[in-house]
Amino acid sequence: MDLTGFFQALTSFLPFLPKIYNPVVIDYTTLFSVLCWLLAASISLYFSLNNSRIWTSIGIGFFLLFWSQSFQLNPWHETFTIMIAIHFTIGTISILLVSHGIQEYYLFTRTLEITGSKKTIYLGTVLIILVSILAISLNPKPSLYVLRNFRLMNNIVWFYLCILNIYYIAKIYTEMKDSPIAKGIICLGMVFVFALIWKGSGMYLQMYQWDKAWLNIIEFDGISTDIDQHQGKVAFARALFKYMNVVTSVSVAGTFAYLFKLLR
Amino acid sequence: MFLLPKGNPLAENVPISKLQLPDALEKLKNGKLTGCAIFDFPAADCALVYDEGKLVTAIVHRDGTEIKEQAALQSLVELMLLASSGTFSVYALSKDITLAVMALVGGPATIDSQEIKLIDFKALLDRIKTEQMTATLKIYTPERAGLIFYRSGTTVGFFHDASTGIETSAGEVQQIAGLPGARVDLRVLADTDGFVLDLAGLIDIRSLWEASSGNPFATPAPAVTTSAAESTEPAATESAAPLSANDIESAILDLANQSVGKLGRTLAEKELMNLGSVESLKDPDKLQEFLAALEKGSKLLASSNKIREMKEAISAQAAQL
Repeated sequence: MDLTGFFQALTSFLPFLPKIYNPVVIDYTTLFSVLCWLLAASISLYFSLNNSRIWTSIGIGFFLLFWSQSFQLNPWHETFTIMIAIHFTIGTISILLVSHGIQEYYLFTRTLEITGSKKTIYLGTVLIILVSILAISLNPKPSLYVLRNFRLMNNIVWFYLCILNIYYIAKIYTEMKDSPIAKGIICLGMVFVFALIWKGSGMYLQMYQWDKAWLNIIEFDGISTDIDQHQGKVAFARALFKYMNVVTSVSVAGTFAYLFKLLR
Repeated sequence: MFLLPKGNPLAENVPISKLQLPDALEKLKNGKLTGCAIFDFPAADCALVYDEGKLVTAIVHRDGTEIKEQAALQSLVELMLLASSGTFSVYALSKDITLAVMALVGGPATIDSQEIKLIDFKALLDRIKTEQMTATLKIYTPERAGLIFYRSGTTVGFFHDASTGIETSAGEVQQIAGLPGARVDLRVLADTDGFVLDLAGLIDIRSLWEASSGNPFATPAPAVTTSAAESTEPAATESAAPLSANDIESAILDLANQSVGKLGRTLAEKELMNLGSVESLKDPDKLQEFLAALEKGSKLLASSNKIREMKEAISAQAAQL
């Protein structure tokens, strides 16, 4: 879908926005995925406002996840590399928050104690985001190498925290399998299984320097790559990365819609 | 006209003088009855609706008023002890018809006593279908009455005052609809997310029966025409025989377990321990504190509807302290 005309009109209507020079083409799969993240974000944010304190961390986490994913629709992200770095950092903060919420949920099922306040979570999240943005802004403009490191950090943190979350969700399910929302917890666990494969395949490609960002970097540097010897593995990992992104976004939207029904 | 469907008769026109109410209800529960038990007294009628042995709705019609749920059970005990004659019948019904009967007996009146010729009857039938209502449509004149039962918008049976069982065609009910002055009531089953309280768990019929039958001067309870939620107020249950604190504690824990699961039970145990004892729930402030703490934890485990119903049921139990 070519949105170049739309954004050019927008920049002429709002002159303070940076001019658009490159074509803005968004494919339908990306748009669909981001809309799924938006749906999940809206429901999760609603949870965080109207429900138990522990849902606040999980809810805000999934909202931030939408924010991090929305960069795919941001026509200026290639112009402002700081913006991409911020998106990846927010994506990393999002999984930290979700994991924090899930660990608190597990603690609750074992101790039946709920401590802390929603306000602390809101303020803490805002503070972490502001500090991250400040740290990125005060440092040199991220090069393509640095941006790739940000992406790698995001994938690694997601990968290992997904494993931890699956483990904790299994423990939570064991504790509450006869409660009315037990099936919703299983769905949440499935989301992390899909996310594990999605982020894991991304991490795998980066670790072996078969990712698109690395290939773009070395295109003019003369650095050699062994990608030709591993075409099968690369194609498989790329397909997993692409399709699991969509599957994760759909499963997140479905899970939150289901949880919304169960908790209404 | 108080009309309930007759399904497969399990007991019919048994004189109530031969009936020990607690034993009879125990049998219906243990027999996992899906259907209804009907008590016919000279000046009142009572219907108890069962779903797989769970007493889901109770209603007494007396002196032109409707008494429902727990208050109806209390009233039934008094009617049984004070009435000089009466009969008792039990009919097994299909699950679909039982749900529609639950709507008829306990559901809110979406349409109340509307004259058929003044409404768009076809549009009403379309609405039942499109909104997938589980409901009963009652069509009646002063002399005749007919019922149409719906499950999720689909017609599941017909019954009228001359039926001997559930019918599959609308013929007779259609004729009643065509009578001059025919009126219509539509009662719809409220969305309960599949969660329905067992009334038998909220009130100790045996204690109530024994306490009342032991006192020949027992006075009838006032005719309470309240909803289930309102009947949870202490005034509505004052006439019930007091249960022991242990019984009430067990009932509260069972309610938490039923609504929220094993963790709900543990949560209730913990909060009761924090209060000291179940006796503390006599204090309205302590009761509110207990319910708020229970709700806070339960929000992670169950829907707000279930939590609200659990709180109401626990309040009703606490009122018996």
